[in-house]
Amino acid sequence: MIQPQIILLKEGTDTSQGKAQLLSNINSVTAVGDVVRTTLGPRGMDKLIHDDKGSVTISNDGATILKLLDIVHPAAKILVDIAKSQDSEVGDGTTTVVLLAAEFLKEAKPFVEDGVHSQNLIRSYRTASTLAIEKVKELAVSIEGKSVEEKKGLLAKCAATTLSSKLIGGEKEFFATMVVDAVMAIGDDDRLNLIGIKKVPGGNMRDSFLVDGVAFKKTFSYAGFEQQPKKFLNPKILLLNIELELKSEKENAEIRLSDPSQYQSIVDAEWNIIYDKLDKCVESGAKVVLSRLAIGDLATQYFADRDIFCAGRVAEEDLNRVAAAAGGTVQTSVNNIIPEVLGTCEIFEEKQVGGERFNIFSGCPSGRTATIVLRGGADQFIEEAERSLHDAIMIVRRAVKNSTVVPGGGAIDMEISKYLRQHSRTIAGKSQLFINSYAKALEVIPRQLCDNAGFDATDVLNKLRQKHAMQSGEGASYGVDINTGGIADSFANFVWEPAVVKINAINAATEAACLILSVDETVKNPKSESAQGDAAAGAMGRGRGGGRGRGMRRR
Amino acid sequence: MALAFDEFGRPFIILREQDQKTRLRGIDAQKANIAAGKAVARILRSSLGPKGMDKMLQGPDGDVTITNDGATILEQMDVDNQIAKLMVELSRSQDYEIGDGTTGVVVMAGALLEQAERQLDRGIHPIRVAEGYEMASRVAVEHLERISQKFEFDVDNFEPLVKTCMTTLSSKIVNRCKRSLAEIAVKAVLAVADLERRDVNLDLIKVEGKVGGNLEDTELIYGILVDKDMSHPQMPKQIEDAHIAILTCPFEPPKPKTKHKVDIDTVEKFETLRKQEQQYFDEMVQKCKDVGATLVICQWGFDDEANHLLMHRNLPAVRWVGGVELELIAIATGGRIVPRFQELTTEKLGKAGMVREKSFGTTKERMLYIEHCANSKAVTIFIRGGNKMMIEETKRSIHDALCVARNLIRNKSIVYGGGAAEIACSLAVDAAADKYPGVEQYAIRAFAEALDSVPMALAENSGLQPIETLSAVKSQQLKENIPFYGIDCNDVGTNDMREQNVFETLIGKQQQILLATQVVKMILKIDDVISNSEY
Repeated sequence: MIQPQIILLKEGTDTSQGKAQLLSNINSVTAVGDVVRTTLGPRGMDKLIHDDKGSVTISNDGATILKLLDIVHPAAKILVDIAKSQDSEVGDGTTTVVLLAAEFLKEAKPFVEDGVHSQNLIRSYRTASTLAIEKVKELAVSIEGKSVEEKKGLLAKCAATTLSSKLIGGEKEFFATMVVDAVMAIGDDDRLNLIGIKKVPGGNMRDSFLVDGVAFKKTFSYAGFEQQPKKFLNPKILLLNIELELKSEKENAEIRLSDPSQYQSIVDAEWNIIYDKLDKCVESGAKVVLSRLAIGDLATQYFADRDIFCAGRVAEEDLNRVAAAAGGTVQTSVNNIIPEVLGTCEIFEEKQVGGERFNIFSGCPSGRTATIVLRGGADQFIEEAERSLHDAIMIVRRAVKNSTVVPGGGAIDMEISKYLRQHSRTIAGKSQLFINSYAKALEVIPRQLCDNAGFDATDVLNKLRQKHAMQSGEGASYGVDINTGGIADSFANFVWEPAVVKINAINAATEAACLILSVDETVKNPKSESAQGDAAAGAMGRGRGGGRGRGMRRR
Repeated sequence: MALAFDEFGRPFIILREQDQKTRLRGIDAQKANIAAGKAVARILRSSLGPKGMDKMLQGPDGDVTITNDGATILEQMDVDNQIAKLMVELSRSQDYEIGDGTTGVVVMAGALLEQAERQLDRGIHPIRVAEGYEMASRVAVEHLERISQKFEFDVDNFEPLVKTCMTTLSSKIVNRCKRSLAEIAVKAVLAVADLERRDVNLDLIKVEGKVGGNLEDTELIYGILVDKDMSHPQMPKQIEDAHIAILTCPFEPPKPKTKHKVDIDTVEKFETLRKQEQQYFDEMVQKCKDVGATLVICQWGFDDEANHLLMHRNLPAVRWVGGVELELIAIATGGRIVPRFQELTTEKLGKAGMVREKSFGTTKERMLYIEHCANSKAVTIFIRGGNKMMIEETKRSIHDALCVARNLIRNKSIVYGGGAAEIACSLAVDAAADKYPGVEQYAIRAFAEALDSVPMALAENSGLQPIETLSAVKSQQLKENIPFYGIDCNDVGTNDMREQNVFETLIGKQQQILLATQVVKMILKIDDVISNSEY
């Protein structure tokens, strides 16, 4: 008698389990790690990625690359998530975190193959990561208590380290100072959107500049705009969120007249409404009127007549920044405008920047905002520069709040690695091996730095190990010297990273590695798969058969 | 894209639609990118210089453009390759920032890429090459600063400006009347320039073109040209000392914006309504008359009745004038744009010494000249030419010349053209290379060689022996230590660019070098291209 087969899951459900599954997951993670590997460090390369809509990104930022790769493999997706979390948490080190996670798993692979239970590995990795983080904290040098000028210089060093791996690395000092000034300007305020980055194609990187206030592109203007004055000293600024246009007050209203002589009164009434609004704006004493909604041609000419500058359809974030900088409040009515709601700044000016005209408010009283105007030769170039500056801004902000730094260039990684190796020798049992392999995995950072720069990694690493092994501890801050292909004291060369970047990277990478190690079965619903395929095929507007049915072999 | 394999040798998919993606990485990617960049540069190479050739480009709708302006060629080519697009953007940003030298910047970038390829073959790390280029570009820019000369000019003595503009125009199709065009461009820029702030708003210069006549008939009008005629054929064609009412309201009974309906149920009411309508027209025209307007320019149309009435009351009028032109007229005549008849006052009228309608040739087309304006800060360049393509190309050439004049007002420094500046930089960079230890030295030398490619292309395009000419000029520069020797493209008989009066702006040249280096660095830095195989 044949035992009837018990079907638990719907037909077509893909299940895979056991050791093989674990190894396959590790392989997929390693494959993803290999993609971003080459972007690490000052000699790291960029990736050019076409997405399915045909737009193109050139980037060196780990998080951006992984996001654009559109990864569907469930285990590999975890890497995308940790890169994202690193990006939102500290803003930089996204490549590092992915690389570390991949390397941890790679080191774990032989143990898994040999039949070690993955929970053992996980436990040891967790211990190792706690130890590593403690060590980072211990090694970190505080920059607290320095004078503002000194601190600025130190922060600029951190920013320069971040920028050195980017496309704008050639001008890293220039941009680092700019970033530090911008971050210092907004002070303790948590709202990152107070730092605006505006992109203007054309010109040279060095033509980029920082405005200690707000700058935004000239908005759409009506006839009469050119007759308005374009420069004011200490103007009052009125911020509005209403339309200043001649229009019907109510959408669905209809007026019925039985007496033709009343016709004019209706026309006048409408004009009076708008004139009333405009008069109130003028009465308030404001010299610059900004609105999030349209300012029509009538209003433009009316203001031009009275020597007032106006701009309609200002983007909301720009308006909010003006409000924060100039100290005004955005009004939704022109009634009852008291002087307190008007903002002010030292200089308002409309300036030509490259091919664009910009409205620039500088010397704002509260000064809690800054705008960086980026220039560059190509759109792609500016896009990438913006991403790089974002990273740098985040780093500086973290460094301001959490003002401890560690030497970069792989120095800190080597030091932790050494520390963990030493520690592992004191442990009896299997854990010794695992912590040792964790320590080895940490060496991937300096190794990759060398590989990317075309140096002999083994050679450099051996030199580094020797330095770090010195009893006196004086070699603790030695890292890869990217210029000569040897080793150098990273701390003395001002290759600094905020400690929080490293801590977060180690934490996130270990978490991800442990998570993947703890998975031993994947059950995949067939529906979700085909739905995904359909969605993808549909989105691209080509219902080719190739899109569907693919991935069936996936396990 | 390479597949990943699991323990049993079965491939698995990591990326969405992985099998449709192609991936190019490492040196292959760099080679492919460099090839694409070079291909674009090769197209433009033959357009460089006074003897450069034009390109004919046919757009998707069958419209034809003939030009030798680098930015325009690349824009119209509609390239698909990403690296090629970068080159297009490179040219565009030169256009935005400087307005001239759009071909040169691409040729320069192409030469840098070509040199980079050789360095890569030698096994030098691409980023080291890029860094070497960056160092070299700094040297070159500093050297340009050193060899540059200050130009002295003012409103009365603008000869130097004209000469620089002539250099720009000499490479264009319009070079037969470069002298007159250059003068027009310079005068136009000086008319609108704010010499104290060193600022020129090019928006105030309008460039109009009309098919017919000769290129020599191109003229500069101190005022505005509107491609419109009087609303009524019997209105006077010429108004002296015009007082202009600039209106943005139509000569029609006003309409409330809110939906409205007039219920008429009796004959009397209808009569009143009709009378009212007439009264409106009457009032409008009367209002204009009352404030003393002798010409009405309106953004909108007129009712026939109003038109008739205007004619009758002897008030010439122009209708359907676009918003931009209206604004320019307002600026030029010192008037205010009036949105409502009730607001019309004498102070708001614009004033112009002469307004006339002019017809061209045998065509019925007429244009309105508004001249001798109260405030001459708005001028029009009116281009005549045999055909539309010619006019379009002239417009582009004039734009280049205007930009050059503007740049000179912003920054008075000039360098010598005809490849002289490039050769001088090449020598300086080459000499500086020896001071750099490390791999970058090779890249810096390569940069110097790439700089030679511009004079080389100039010589080639002029039918000279490129290598012979270049080496002769180079040795001459080095021997006499004078950076004014360039390529004698026009066969004048001297290599001294001072005598030939071939000038270029310093900022334009510096920008070319910096921008080209920047983009080349970006291209060199890419080692991985992931794309859907369809692209």
